[in-house]
Amino acid sequence: MSQNLPPDVALKVDDLSIVYRTDRGEVKATANVSFALRSGEAMALIGESGSGKTTISLALIRKLPKNALITSGQILYQRNQEVQDVLKLNSRQLREFRWNECAMVFQGAQNAFNPVLKIRKQFEDTAQSHGWRDKAAVRERALSLLQLVRLDPERVYDAYPHELSGGMKQRALLALGVLLSPQVVILDEPTTALDILTQRAIIDVLNDMRRQLDFSIIFISHDLSLAAEMADHVATVYAGEIVELGGVNDVFYQSLHPYTQGLLTSVPTLEHTQDLLQSIPGSPPNLITPPVGCKFHPRCAFADDVCMEDSPPLAVDVGGHLAACWHKDRLIESRKARV
Amino acid sequence: MTDFQLLDAGQDALEQALSPKRKLVPAPVENFYKNYYVRVFAQAILTIWAVLTVTFFLVRQMPGNPIDVLIEQILTQEGISYQEAYDRVAASFNFDPDATLFDQYLDYIRDLLHLDLGTSITSPGTRIIDEIARFLPWTLFAVGSGFLISFVLGVILGMTMAYYRDSALDHAMSLVSSFFTGVPNYIWGLLIIIGPGISWNWFDVGAARGTYDPGLTPGLNAAFIGSAIEHALLPIITYVLATLGSWMLSMKSSTTSVLNDDYVNVAEARGLKDRRIITAYVGRNAMLPLFAQLSISIGFVLGSGVVIEEIFVYWGFGHYLFQAITVRDYTSVQGAVLILSSTFVFSNLFADLTYGLLDPRVRVTGEK
Amino acid sequence: MNSKTPSPPHPLLTLLRLPFTLLFAVFSFINRLRANRAGFIGFLGLLAYFVMTFIMPHFIAFDGEVNLDEIAGPVGSRIQLAVHTDNAELRTFEDLAGKTVGVVDQTGGPSLIAPYADSINIEKYRWTSRRAGPGIRAALIDLANKEIDAMLIFSKSVEQIRADAEDAELQALFAERIVVSNPELGPPHLLGTDTQGRDIATHIVHGGRILILTAVIGGVISTIIALVVGSLSAMIGGAFDAAMTALSNLILAVPRLILLVVLAGLIRFENTLFLGFMIGLLGWPPLMRAIRAQVLSLRERDFVEAARSLGLSTYHIMFREMLPNMISYVMINFIFAITFAMYEQIALLVLGLAPIDDYTWGVMLYFGRSRGTLYNPDGASMALSPVLAIAFFQVCLVLFARALEEIFDPRLRAAV
Repeated sequence: MSQNLPPDVALKVDDLSIVYRTDRGEVKATANVSFALRSGEAMALIGESGSGKTTISLALIRKLPKNALITSGQILYQRNQEVQDVLKLNSRQLREFRWNECAMVFQGAQNAFNPVLKIRKQFEDTAQSHGWRDKAAVRERALSLLQLVRLDPERVYDAYPHELSGGMKQRALLALGVLLSPQVVILDEPTTALDILTQRAIIDVLNDMRRQLDFSIIFISHDLSLAAEMADHVATVYAGEIVELGGVNDVFYQSLHPYTQGLLTSVPTLEHTQDLLQSIPGSPPNLITPPVGCKFHPRCAFADDVCMEDSPPLAVDVGGHLAACWHKDRLIESRKARV
Repeated sequence: MTDFQLLDAGQDALEQALSPKRKLVPAPVENFYKNYYVRVFAQAILTIWAVLTVTFFLVRQMPGNPIDVLIEQILTQEGISYQEAYDRVAASFNFDPDATLFDQYLDYIRDLLHLDLGTSITSPGTRIIDEIARFLPWTLFAVGSGFLISFVLGVILGMTMAYYRDSALDHAMSLVSSFFTGVPNYIWGLLIIIGPGISWNWFDVGAARGTYDPGLTPGLNAAFIGSAIEHALLPIITYVLATLGSWMLSMKSSTTSVLNDDYVNVAEARGLKDRRIITAYVGRNAMLPLFAQLSISIGFVLGSGVVIEEIFVYWGFGHYLFQAITVRDYTSVQGAVLILSSTFVFSNLFADLTYGLLDPRVRVTGEK
Repeated sequence: MNSKTPSPPHPLLTLLRLPFTLLFAVFSFINRLRANRAGFIGFLGLLAYFVMTFIMPHFIAFDGEVNLDEIAGPVGSRIQLAVHTDNAELRTFEDLAGKTVGVVDQTGGPSLIAPYADSINIEKYRWTSRRAGPGIRAALIDLANKEIDAMLIFSKSVEQIRADAEDAELQALFAERIVVSNPELGPPHLLGTDTQGRDIATHIVHGGRILILTAVIGGVISTIIALVVGSLSAMIGGAFDAAMTALSNLILAVPRLILLVVLAGLIRFENTLFLGFMIGLLGWPPLMRAIRAQVLSLRERDFVEAARSLGLSTYHIMFREMLPNMISYVMINFIFAITFAMYEQIALLVLGLAPIDDYTWGVMLYFGRSRGTLYNPDGASMALSPVLAIAFFQVCLVLFARALEEIFDPRLRAAV
């Protein structure tokens, strides 16, 4: 392969644009998305529902719906100095790539397991499809992983999915996700639809797994507290674009984009009092005919003529903290004024 | 036990307590009957007994009376007195025609409990069990293979339709499957005879009658087996044509819904091989609802065998039953009904009991 | 519930609007149906069947006239006049005055020419004779040799008889000396004639009405019983449910044929339609099971729960909340019940176990089979015509029902 990546980068997305063809027109689900994921790092994609977070993650394993079309961009994946262009893999290579290199733990693990096969069979299927036929070794690895996600390994391994509770299934799916030691694990809303105790358990398990196994995480969530707790880097996605990208502390405490700022103030925290809690006015834009200029301008308190005409570039501020906004200064000032 | 296992156990208990299907522990007295297997088996036996009873009294209400027919025959043939003829006929039956209907019924049940199906009325001395043993295998062979072929074909074609849904192939196959379902099975039989059989002369309709060529000894020799298959071919084709369409459509709709399930999506993301996904993930789950239909269809197809076998002059069980009905041979009809009803009831029971093997979700309590 | 319910319109206004509403509903339904091509074909087919079996009988008389001369004629058969090439001008019965005309038994010729017996010399040929072989061939040889002047020929065209001639000499003889001067002496039989020389096409037109009515009666009765028993079983539960489930199992387990034969014998039929009642009374269990399951699952749904928590009556819940949710399902199964009733009815007729007072397609099939026309390529029309009439009717019903299924079932429709 001709591409060269810095040795510590596991995944690099360049200028990725995806449209969905529908009866009403082309939905521009993702526009010119670029980011890089270093190995061992956890990155959170945050944003409202329908902002295109899931589309980005599905594109990484090329699991997009049939009506999706990738109009531009490339996705490079590197492991052991070997670079693969994910979008150019043939179907056999793609099958090998999935789960071996990049596993995805889907939203709603409730139905992620085939109801008629034992958990054991589903671990073995996964291993066998990637050329690992030694069932005893699979079992040993699976049991240790199930132990790691704090399940009763023997019992769960020989259980049918319906014999497990929702939280147990989610953890079993996490174990299955790292069975083949992938370098990247995508977690799509890993805690949604679980009760608060189970959510806590999942977060602890994830932290444990990251300590013991070496993999990068991309996780998608609208749960900002989860992002704050788990991520090293955070990318804010709005209307199919990454509008802010930076270290977790930079983004959450020194936000440079009014949308991220809006998301943060719409979450109740212990420190903030009720009157400071506000929701972002308006609703996400129609992605068939998105607004001209900055896509956020119809909902933005700082918007002016510039915002309506030109779309702001994702420009570096300090320390690798990027944001696409014309009025970062005014945002910082207003924050200072509020505190 | 870690705190998480404790948490899991607590959740399990909670879910069990909240689940509406979970019943309280049965009282010890009821334990035996509450046992799922005992209960369904008792119900099956009860149903068969009810069918037998209904049949016993119903067949005797059929217009026409075999005893009078037989007495009439002997009178005209041998010119003896009515009383003599009557005595002879009465002696040749395994029941007393003078006894009340209810006594006859008790006799019948008593014999049945000794596994004795009695002898035929119109051809005295012929044991019904022998007759059934003579005719039933042919029907089981023809219906069974027709059923198997059509089920397998239907599952494959139905899955194909679901994978290519809304394509021209799907539309064409839908139309064909409607055609197969719509045309009644005996009409298929007649069409086969009129078209390829008579008009185009592809095969000799007359030679295809019966169950095997005369002069062959039944047994495990190639000539006999070949001939048996040849003779069963037309009924088999008819059963396949008549049942294929509904299997195709059922399989299509159930595959379509399974394809939208998360676990199929996840299986693809797991990088499983396509063949594994199609068989163990899509196929196996999509076939579950079809097994529930299977048992009911078996009963239906066995019952419809009468018309098919009459049309092709295939000497199977349906032919036997039809003959018995036309000559009002009560005991033979009863014997045949016993077999048909038991087949229906037990195939249902079998399907219920084995469903758990296919779907682990119903295995725990043995209840759906 | 919405607190701002619109005030109901004036009753008279509703009444006036009703025809338009109905018309609109019918139009929009047909429009949706047109999107589903197979269903639309089925719908048009059913309309055509309706016209054929319910309207056309008023204009086309049933051919009940037994004409043993014209037995088992093939499709399109009619009487033709064959003459010697030299006599090609002979075309009508009037032209034949004083001539000698050959007719062959069992071909329709004798009865056709009988009215002219005074003016025409009739030479009768047997259908077959030991001396001359096939009568038609004997007559044709005589005609070629000018021993007779003309000949009436039924069912087979002269061309075909020429082709059937064994040797080339005979073929040449027929080809050179015989022409068909008038191909249209008798009425054509579109679908041929049956074993009694009656026109099959008129029988097809007349033979569907009772059959279809019987099937519809069977379908209506079994659907109503299934609906009532099924929903009551699910709503009441307990002993009633158990009893009804047991009864349905019993009916399913007794071979249908026996039940129908016995009932058919027990209750003397005044009327074929009665068979429909019988079939309906025995046909409900499968649909009853399905409806019972549906009601049980509907009962657990949110909107029914909501209605119940609002304190609405069981009656209201059943007829206002649940029935609208099942109506399409019931409609579709009603159509399938009709196909099933048709199936059983004709099976009984074919086996000769049902009364054959009305001359329906089923009875035609029975006679066609029992009189062996099935095995006679020329006469196959007697069995084949009702076979096709029944087959296409059933296919139309199934296509229509499946189209309804797709239109009403959002799961099937929305599947991407």
